[in-house]
Amino acid sequence: MPDMLYTAVLLAVLVLALYLAATTARVNRLHARAGAAARALDAHLVRRAAAAAVLAERLPAPLLYAAARGALDGAPGDREAAENALTRQLRAVAARCDVGEPVRAASRRVAVARQVHTDLVRDALAVRRLRPVRLLRLAQQHALPAYFDIDDPALAGAPAPVPVGAGAAGVRTATAQATGD
Amino acid sequence: MRVGIVCPYSFDVPGGVQGHIRDLAETLAGLGHRVSVLAPAHDEDALPAYVVSAGRAVPVPYNGSVARLAFGPLSAARVRRWLAAGDFDVLHVHEPLSPSLSLLAVLCARGPVVATFHTAMTRSRAMAAAQNVLQLVLERITARIAVSALARRVQVEHLDGGAVEIPNGVAVAAFRDAVALPDLPGPCGPGHGGTVGFLGRYTEPRKGFPVLLEAFDRLAARRPGVRLLVAGRGDRQSALAQLPAARHDQVTFLGMVSDEAKARMLRSVDVYVAPNTGGESFGMILTEAMAAGAPVVASDLDAFRRVLDGGAAGVLFPTGDAAALDAALGALLDDPAGRAELAARAGRAVAAYDWPLVAGRVLEVYATAIEAVSGRVVDTALPLDLDVV
Repeated sequence: MPDMLYTAVLLAVLVLALYLAATTARVNRLHARAGAAARALDAHLVRRAAAAAVLAERLPAPLLYAAARGALDGAPGDREAAENALTRQLRAVAARCDVGEPVRAASRRVAVARQVHTDLVRDALAVRRLRPVRLLRLAQQHALPAYFDIDDPALAGAPAPVPVGAGAAGVRTATAQATGD
Repeated sequence: MRVGIVCPYSFDVPGGVQGHIRDLAETLAGLGHRVSVLAPAHDEDALPAYVVSAGRAVPVPYNGSVARLAFGPLSAARVRRWLAAGDFDVLHVHEPLSPSLSLLAVLCARGPVVATFHTAMTRSRAMAAAQNVLQLVLERITARIAVSALARRVQVEHLDGGAVEIPNGVAVAAFRDAVALPDLPGPCGPGHGGTVGFLGRYTEPRKGFPVLLEAFDRLAARRPGVRLLVAGRGDRQSALAQLPAARHDQVTFLGMVSDEAKARMLRSVDVYVAPNTGGESFGMILTEAMAAGAPVVASDLDAFRRVLDGGAAGVLFPTGDAAALDAALGALLDDPAGRAELAARAGRAVAAYDWPLVAGRVLEVYATAIEAVSGRVVDTALPLDLDVV
């Protein structure tokens, strides 16, 4: 009888250990991913600001240049506001003229990186809320992942490759894509 | 980039998801990427070189229709072998929440996973019950793509996450360059002639074929020589019962068509009609008709309005309104300049759906997924030199 009890206890401990190991690995994986996504988002924001600064010097567009500098120099606290200001300036310029593929591509990459980052932060925060993770503080070695809350940075789509004959139709295409999200 | 794509449905059976994966794989390969597709298949000899068969699929009732799926330990072993042999930079699965190869691949994957959601399925009771299990699958997916605004809304509302919206691509050149069927579209002048096209399972109520038949009956009453060209599966006799017998010889049924025949059919019509009454999340056939240069008349559904650029690239009529459809068709068939103008605008609008452009967007999502796993920034402009970045 004591043998069976031993076996049962041993089995329970083993199952618990396996579960904890798997959960710890899950917590670590999700936090590592959220962190990597945050670094990638940061890199794409810097690229967008750099592309915007180049465009601002070429045009020239002083307000856009100021917004790009603001985004590059932004203090950690008000970075989101600085990025939103840059998005607004880029949209204002895009309404007047073609911003060029580098800025459009950089804006698209920011949009995708932000979407993926948001999803991965949500996954990491969800796993932190699990009871065993909270009780055993499995996530305490990881900083709390934070959302990066900015407006959708998407600009108008690429202009139609065919020269636009009927101007009105072309303008409609561009605005429909800009608001198409 | 080494890309592994998983197709949940039999590759030797035609279907929307299969066609999407074939076009994506071929476009990516054309851009210099190494692509391998894993899919269930019955006849392995009929597969393109880039497809690896995962064995036969079994029919499973799912989401209101019968899907042919491969699922089980044998399939899992094949998935693992394929993943190990492919050594992919990114794994791209389609419809990963059905019990399928896609789900198995997500569970076996170690690297970045991109998932595309095609259908705008609503939350089912089974899904709600399996929420915890679902979370384990979803959190293994690094980046999600939805092919339509509707599919994206399902992500946000039911699966607690966002998705990047990338529309279905269309092989514009294949449709633009197709040759019309012999003797079609035939004469079309003010008050007479003209060929109207429809493609789809015409016995399925949501496709709205009865609305088109009613409109066609009215149109034919005052327009001699007008023809209706119908492609797709269905029972012809019961479909025609609604139309007076005298008009039956003005309707031509082509039956099921291959992709090539579909392109030729769309090149053979003066006007293409999409009278759907609902249930469309994207409107693939509209982009195909637009690419083929056919002026489009479509019901005023959200999905259609978006594809038709709010009505600039095609004529919208109130959903289910046969009288309005009849009026729109009559006006368009009488106006060759208007048709040409509409086709030109559609040609410009459909450029945004051309596969090379769409595949470029997909590559940007691949790059983002790789970044979110590795933490290093990836340039999509350098497809073959990923490792040096």
